[in-house]
Amino acid sequence: MFHWLEKHPFFLAVGVFLVISFAGLVEILPNFAQQSRPVIGTAPYSTLELAGRHVYIKNSCNACHSQLVRPFKSETDRYGHYSLSGEYAYDRPFLWGSKRTGPDLMRVGNYRTTDWHENHMKDPSGVVPGSIMPAYRWMFTNSADIDTAFAEQLTIAQFFSVPYNKPVPMKDGSTTVVKMGSSVAEANALALSEAKVIAADMKDQDVKDAVANGNIPEIVALIAYLNSLK
Amino acid sequence: MDIAQLQAYGYFTLITLLVIALYGYIYHLYSKKKDVDVFDYESYSNMALKDGRDDTPVAPMSDDKVPLEGLKEK
Amino acid sequence: MENRPLEYDYTVAKMFMLTTIILGIVGMLVGVVLAFQLAFPELNLVLGEGLAEYTNFSRLRPLHTDAVIFGFTLSGIFATWYYVGQRVLKVSMAESKLLMFLGKLHFWLYLVVVASVVVSLLAGVTTSKEYAEFEWPIDIAVVVVWVVFGIGMFGLIGIRREKSLYISIWYYIATFLGIAMLYLFNNMAIPTGLGVSTIGESGIGAWYHSVSMYAGTNDALVQWWYGHNAVAFGFTVPIVAMIYYFLPKESGQAIYSYKLSLLSFWGLMFVYLWAGGHHLLYSTVPDWVQTMGSIFSVILILPSWGSAINMLLTMKGEWQQVAASPLIKFMVLGSTFYMFSTLEGPIQAIKSVNAIAHFTDWIIGHVHDGVLGWVGFMIMAALYHMAPRVFKREIYSKSLMAAQFWIQTVGVVLYFTSMWIAGITQGMMWRAHDEFGNLAYSFIDTVTVLHPYYAIRGVGGLLYLVGFLMFAYNIYKTMSARPVEESELQNASPMGA
Repeated sequence: MFHWLEKHPFFLAVGVFLVISFAGLVEILPNFAQQSRPVIGTAPYSTLELAGRHVYIKNSCNACHSQLVRPFKSETDRYGHYSLSGEYAYDRPFLWGSKRTGPDLMRVGNYRTTDWHENHMKDPSGVVPGSIMPAYRWMFTNSADIDTAFAEQLTIAQFFSVPYNKPVPMKDGSTTVVKMGSSVAEANALALSEAKVIAADMKDQDVKDAVANGNIPEIVALIAYLNSLK
Repeated sequence: MDIAQLQAYGYFTLITLLVIALYGYIYHLYSKKKDVDVFDYESYSNMALKDGRDDTPVAPMSDDKVPLEGLKEK
Repeated sequence: MENRPLEYDYTVAKMFMLTTIILGIVGMLVGVVLAFQLAFPELNLVLGEGLAEYTNFSRLRPLHTDAVIFGFTLSGIFATWYYVGQRVLKVSMAESKLLMFLGKLHFWLYLVVVASVVVSLLAGVTTSKEYAEFEWPIDIAVVVVWVVFGIGMFGLIGIRREKSLYISIWYYIATFLGIAMLYLFNNMAIPTGLGVSTIGESGIGAWYHSVSMYAGTNDALVQWWYGHNAVAFGFTVPIVAMIYYFLPKESGQAIYSYKLSLLSFWGLMFVYLWAGGHHLLYSTVPDWVQTMGSIFSVILILPSWGSAINMLLTMKGEWQQVAASPLIKFMVLGSTFYMFSTLEGPIQAIKSVNAIAHFTDWIIGHVHDGVLGWVGFMIMAALYHMAPRVFKREIYSKSLMAAQFWIQTVGVVLYFTSMWIAGITQGMMWRAHDEFGNLAYSFIDTVTVLHPYYAIRGVGGLLYLVGFLMFAYNIYKTMSARPVEESELQNASPMGA
């Protein structure tokens, strides 16, 4: 059989394909039958948070920061509770990263504030002496792309039944509703109202002015996202 | 039968088949040493070593398709 | 066609040799810049504050990985395919106008994709998935390039004169199939343009934006099934294809055991795909997937070493050639690094070792001893072997090649030794507790301690880049060196002083 394959390239290719697809069939496909289900307390991202997530991805923050707390004492001491599968149910794509040049950010919202992030993104080594993280000053002037975030919300609500405008159970037994606009204007208004809360805690006058004028700098969206990581 | 069981049975069956196939292949290679066209497997190394424009194929395709004379003639 | 002598046509091979060298320089240069940025963060502003967005570490990092994987390595794979393929199938590209057209089309489309990738990554348009950063329009273009490559490959195989397929061809076929399957499944995404139509609007936000078909843990599982096997089918399978052709050819020795090469082929095909789970140890993917990843990683030593030992034994009784020819040195050290790296990988995939190694620079070290030592050396050796044959001139300088070999070897050794120390140091410091059970070090302590190792790594990378520039210069000068004799070159490549 094998020497026959060697002389029939098409069937050799089929044979190779069967052998290499086997692992995927057994290992990966069955997991999709059990859809990723969110744990209680995990809510979809709001428009502004999602725009911040895009800023995070645009600048490849995941190249240096993981979002995966492994079940070791040293990690739970440092970062908080170890990660649960359901906490990632709304993460498309996942942002676990593969390298911790900087610390894990899975639960950074629990122990860092808007004010801390603002100073740190402007001048990392001023906040953490010895830090090798570059400054991200352009985030204070670039505008966040709210429209794309809104388009993504519409898409995931449509294709993956992400529960926007629906009650989501929280840990304390209450429910919360993450709102999604029904038009671009409404989505921008929602994002802006969120942005105002963040900007109120910030010191940069240019950022405050921009938000007051209805324009949301990338840094505001990013901080909204980082604060949502809990 | 739930999906995990199906996975386990599927995995075991396929692994078994592939192991049998692999050992059968090893047995075939080292006992027969030659393939169905009675070429020694080791002679196939010459496909790389004798790949110049004047060399003839180790195991040519059927003669009617590619006249060997045409290849040899330079 | 019947009575014409066989004359191989290397037009397309030459084109891809050019991109191998250029994209190699780009990818490695960016890599060296990144390495020094980690040691000296001020270099993030290397082109000034105004361009900081485009020169900072995080924006450049995907450019480095993609330039060396899909630029340098893939070009090298294509260049050698368009050279080796014709020769072992005993058929010339010139015999078919269609295949020649497809070959050239393949090259120009590839170039268009490369250009759009560079622009999009610098602009920050990325899906964040490692080695799959491209957004859907580029993904579609990649698929087109791949299909053209595949049609050309099977077309050439279809008109072959050699009935049986040489082992290298098996590996090239596997490369084609493997990458096709992995790439398609991992990049499944829904363009957001489709989603916005639900509110009866169109053109909201960026048209090229898409959202992954998979969420969270599932996404991670697919991504690392892809990520790990992109290494398999980009850095292992096609490079093995190269060494199975170029080492026997350059040394004039038949493969030590052709039968072993067949066995390790099937072994590698079956085992490699399972090992992806080792990137996700202690994560939230099912435990059995993690364990399976660990176990298969260890089993993977067998087929990998099957090929590597087969290559080293091919030189049995001919070791004087290793001393005499720098070209053979590259290939023999390449196989040695392959053995080394395929032993190191499984060690890191053992769960208890991985607990320390994961997320640290040890992994970076592992990638680079494989890529610099094995992939880089083998592709350069292949191009050195091809150069006198496609340009019909002797290699410009043997001594330059020898100097390059030693400079790059020192570079690789500096690279992986510093990264081992850095990785293990950091891994141990993260988990260190004091006598009261509190964490012994804050995170920044584990960063500042790495400074000397990052500096050494930068120097190692720089040496490798210098060697690569010597290689580029040597090939460039070869194109104008003394012509070789008219008769066809057999084994050892002719070299100038």
